[in-house]
Amino acid sequence: MTNETATSNQGIGDVIEDMTQPGPEMRGEKPEVVEVPGVIETKDMNVYYGAFRAVADVSLSFGTNQISALIGPSGCGKSTVLRSLNRMNDLVPTARTEGEVHYHGANIYAEGVDPVEVRRTIGMVFQKPNPFPKSIFENIAWGAKINGFRGSKSDMADLVQEALVGAALWEEVKDKLNESGYSLSGGQQQRLCIARAIATKPDVILMDEPCSALDPIATLRIEELMLELKEDYSIIIVTHNMQQAARVSDRTAFFNVKLNESGMRTGRLVEYSPTEQLFTSPHEKDTEDYITGRFG
Amino acid sequence: MTDTRDTNVHFHAELDDLERKVLSMVERAEQMIEMAVEAVTKDDLELAARVVALDGDIDQTYFEVHQEWTSLMARHQPLGSDLRRMTILLQLNATFERMGDQCVNIAKIAQFNTGLPRVERICEQIREMGDLVRPMVRTAIEAYVRGDIDEARLLPAMDHPVDRLNANMYKETVAVRDNSQLLEWATKMLMASRALERIGDQAVDFAEQTAYLITGEMAEFDEDGLARALNEHDD
Repeated sequence: MTNETATSNQGIGDVIEDMTQPGPEMRGEKPEVVEVPGVIETKDMNVYYGAFRAVADVSLSFGTNQISALIGPSGCGKSTVLRSLNRMNDLVPTARTEGEVHYHGANIYAEGVDPVEVRRTIGMVFQKPNPFPKSIFENIAWGAKINGFRGSKSDMADLVQEALVGAALWEEVKDKLNESGYSLSGGQQQRLCIARAIATKPDVILMDEPCSALDPIATLRIEELMLELKEDYSIIIVTHNMQQAARVSDRTAFFNVKLNESGMRTGRLVEYSPTEQLFTSPHEKDTEDYITGRFG
Repeated sequence: MTDTRDTNVHFHAELDDLERKVLSMVERAEQMIEMAVEAVTKDDLELAARVVALDGDIDQTYFEVHQEWTSLMARHQPLGSDLRRMTILLQLNATFERMGDQCVNIAKIAQFNTGLPRVERICEQIREMGDLVRPMVRTAIEAYVRGDIDEARLLPAMDHPVDRLNANMYKETVAVRDNSQLLEWATKMLMASRALERIGDQAVDFAEQTAYLITGEMAEFDEDGLARALNEHDD
């Protein structure tokens, strides 16, 4: 506890100089919001499972080399939105997406677009680490091969190393590349899945609650990795952990469940703001209620 | 969403308790300002000693609040208006602690000035500053408690006369420069004036924080109490 005694510490000159200073000091600075062109843009996107409309009228622009987070309560449609961004929802028989999803300006739902090619350029990492039942090396090499890699053996070795370095796993596994992917810890398996995703050279990575099955240390490593990856990739992450969204993302989209005209529960985008804004002074009351734990 | 349910009820109860504890310091702060001014203008050393003792109480509360605040933050990691409220409580806690220290600074001047000649006009002026500053502290806190931005905006206007009196103290001090003992006394009183002026500034700061809580915009008040965003520079 300091108790500065002005009488003993300050000369009269200091006091007079102090008196000429402006009164209350400035505190803090407003963060500068940098708008960057969107790598993926949705326009009036609606996703149905059969007759049930899961999300309605989503128009969003995800920034290049940014981390964008999707948050909201269970059933708000955030994972559905994520899976629509690389046509992963096509694998659900009853799923149907209306509206447009533009990737570098081209609609990925346009006729003639190959969904497999879409998923190669827009990679995905899932909630539970899901390595193939193969060696660490093959986990990456196999994925690259089925996605059309035609290089030599040493090119493949380079690719595997590059992917593992990129996923911050190389140092831990470089001496056991032939061991099973399952021999790794949960956090390492998830980084292996990230390595597998980036080996196909996407420029967008979708992450669906990538840390929810991991302990706090492994979570921290993935979060640090995400911050490194955004130098080269654009990342869109669904998370239940608001603090995680606050820590890693540049922009956050909050979705909520709304009752529509016929009483059906449909997910809707409530607010999409710079993350700092959304978690300190959100524009919408629904967002404020959700992040402070008040919702009905 | 009309019928809002608080699922964070335990955190909000703890936050309310913490807020009550911080706000309980306002009465002590006002009391200390009054006593310190009395002590320094009347050379009352006994009163000065009581100011120092009261500061011990404020310091104790300051430590307790700090610990409870840290615990709340670690356990709940609040966001939105909860985060803004937490931020302000930490700042207010430090403000009261600093106000207590300023009062001790003023009270200690009574010890240095014992036996020196005095100018009653200067004593009057210090008393007037005390009478102006105490309502500022009260008004700033009331604006916070009521969430009343119009009340918070009153603070810059309330601070003007304090600043003016503080500037005038310098002239008063220069005026007695030919009498070395009076000059010594008046120089010390200038320090007391400066401490009161700082307390006034802290009240203005706090009113700005209150505006931030209400609006979510961090801004400084201009002379009319209108918010000026911190990124608007006067080029």
